Amino acid sequence: MRTKRGGALLALALTCGVAMVAATMSLATPSAAPPWCGPKKIKLGFTDGFGGNSWRLVTTASARAEAEKCPSVTSIDYADGQGNTQKAISDIQGMVAKGVDALVVFPDAGKAILPALRSAYKAGVVTVPYRVTPGGKAGVDYDVFIDTPFSQAGENWGKWILRVLPKGGNVLMLSGPKGNSQGVEENKGLHKILDPSGKYKFIGEQPFEVTNWDPALTQKVLSAAIAKYPKIDVIVSDFGPSLVGSLPEFNKSGRNVPSLATSDGNVLGCFWQKQHAKNPTFKLFTVSTQNDHARLAIDWAVALATDGKKPSTTHFPSLVFEDSTTGKPHPVECQPKLPGDIYLSAQLPAEVQAKLVKK
Amino acid sequence: MTGSVASREAVPRGSRRLLNRGLATVVVATGGLFAASLLFASSSVTKGTLLTMLPFASALAIASLGQTLVVMQGGIDLSVAGGLSLYVVIVTKYPAGDNARLWPAIGIAFLAAVGAGLLNGVLIGRLRLNPIVATLGTNALLFGGVLWYTSGIPTTTTARLARVGGGTWLGIPAPVYFAVAATALVTAVVKLTPPGRRFEGVGANETAALTAGVRVGRHRTSAYVWAQVLYCLAAVLHAGIVNQPTAYEGNNYLLPTVAAVVLGGTSLLGGRGNLVATALAALFLSQLDQFVLALGVTYATRQLVQAGALAVGVALYTVNWAAIARRLPVRRPASVRPT
Repeated sequence: MRTKRGGALLALALTCGVAMVAATMSLATPSAAPPWCGPKKIKLGFTDGFGGNSWRLVTTASARAEAEKCPSVTSIDYADGQGNTQKAISDIQGMVAKGVDALVVFPDAGKAILPALRSAYKAGVVTVPYRVTPGGKAGVDYDVFIDTPFSQAGENWGKWILRVLPKGGNVLMLSGPKGNSQGVEENKGLHKILDPSGKYKFIGEQPFEVTNWDPALTQKVLSAAIAKYPKIDVIVSDFGPSLVGSLPEFNKSGRNVPSLATSDGNVLGCFWQKQHAKNPTFKLFTVSTQNDHARLAIDWAVALATDGKKPSTTHFPSLVFEDSTTGKPHPVECQPKLPGDIYLSAQLPAEVQAKLVKK
Repeated sequence: MTGSVASREAVPRGSRRLLNRGLATVVVATGGLFAASLLFASSSVTKGTLLTMLPFASALAIASLGQTLVVMQGGIDLSVAGGLSLYVVIVTKYPAGDNARLWPAIGIAFLAAVGAGLLNGVLIGRLRLNPIVATLGTNALLFGGVLWYTSGIPTTTTARLARVGGGTWLGIPAPVYFAVAATALVTAVVKLTPPGRRFEGVGANETAALTAGVRVGRHRTSAYVWAQVLYCLAAVLHAGIVNQPTAYEGNNYLLPTVAAVVLGGTSLLGGRGNLVATALAALFLSQLDQFVLALGVTYATRQLVQAGALAVGVALYTVNWAAIARRLPVRRPASVRPT
């Protein structure tokens, strides 16, 4: 009994301590807590299906930074599924057992994760999956799913292509594994914008050339395409940085690097800055790699759990980042002194990202 | 013991012929493939495509030489995936873009290679573990090393290394020179020097080698060490060829290295190795990749064609065609007789 009371006292003291620290923190920062941060104290959990690349590292750090904006969040727990579906499921169950109040999940394994999400939701944990659809229904299997319309990225690329190649041309699209939903959706968006004009021809395997997002395979696929198609006017790819090793193939074949509509990455921006003078046809347009998608998911989870104000949307938009032709919204950016695998489109400062990936 | 009896029967009779047949088959197949490429997919033999294909073929050839040394000892090295991945991340992450740190990084990678090779060698050569089990374990250990060192995060290649991997000397991709030199050197050592002859002797007939006083365990161990050293050289080149290697590049080498050994005509039971044929088989496999890509067929068809080519290649050596041919004429008169 005594020990229990002691434990309770300790917990009380700790809570007070945390509350005081939180209070001093919120006092220290002039800007008050964001509207999605309500008064109720919560413990937050964040699970990843696979955490082992620089994109995930920056995304996780972004999520943590976002959660730290809210003083009501007393603890943040993170678990990496390491590409193992079984571990991803037990991570979710472990978070529930630990007593988190809100849980943000990157359900890489898709529908395989749904039962775990449902049991977390049924156990009263605010459950917010994002980015990869786990199937199921909001309000039945989880609280809310924060998606991103991949077709919007395709539409953004399409609109830019209409502008830089008004006379039409040959379009080569590259994406990851065969049939991956991201590539399929992006391709639909691209067709929606380009098809009405009737001036654009899609070349190569349809809907996209398979690269598995693997730089070595990308190199082979691209060099085969360069040899096969004497005229490639624009390349569309959903993983820009993986192209850096492959684009010099054009020069090896005595051709100029064509226009490129893709996603951002420091290594790609630096590559463009070095190459565009030599390759007058090399225009670059990027959409954000969306590391900040995790922030919207955190906002939702925290808002629901702490009784804060819900964000206005559950969709994270595809945002245009760089355009070498107009410089709007940003000119092509490069931080030559920082590592290639950071994402300047993310809110997280470049130096912080550099420290993360260099660790 | 049974293994050595089998190899005793298999090797002395056909070894000379096998050597010639392996090289001849690969030369004919590679020639045929390039002819087919010219006829059906000429874009796969343009200068640009060849300049892309040859560096990959070179790295594969060097790694396959390593695999051949192991197979010559009647073993197989599944740790090529983990080893190659580890050496790639060491030569990219340790320098982290700083050219001055490239040489030390390459040094560390080679030290790691010798370590991994010794581990395999001691487990198999001294402790007599099954090569599949032992190298599978080492592979897991090496991948553990990759994850510990990088957390799976890739690093961009150093500019100097990228110049070597992606550069050309006298119009030929630089890695080709490395592959030719490695093939010549390994072939010369194995075929022309006394230790090389003893090495081949141990693989061909362990009992005879033991009787002759050859230290079998030491030769067997050395095969795994030299294999890892060759994987390391392949990894250094691969890191230069692919500007942004992932942390798992070695996975792309496991099946192709074994395929190159088999296509090159080296018996999986051990014995004589066809090192030049292995290197040519690596060229064959890489060009096949590019040929199917240039045909413009779907990804699924590409996989099927590659698997089919491998099956045909393996069948060439493993199916006893002579026995089948002997059987055929016997049947024909039997069916003719009643008429």
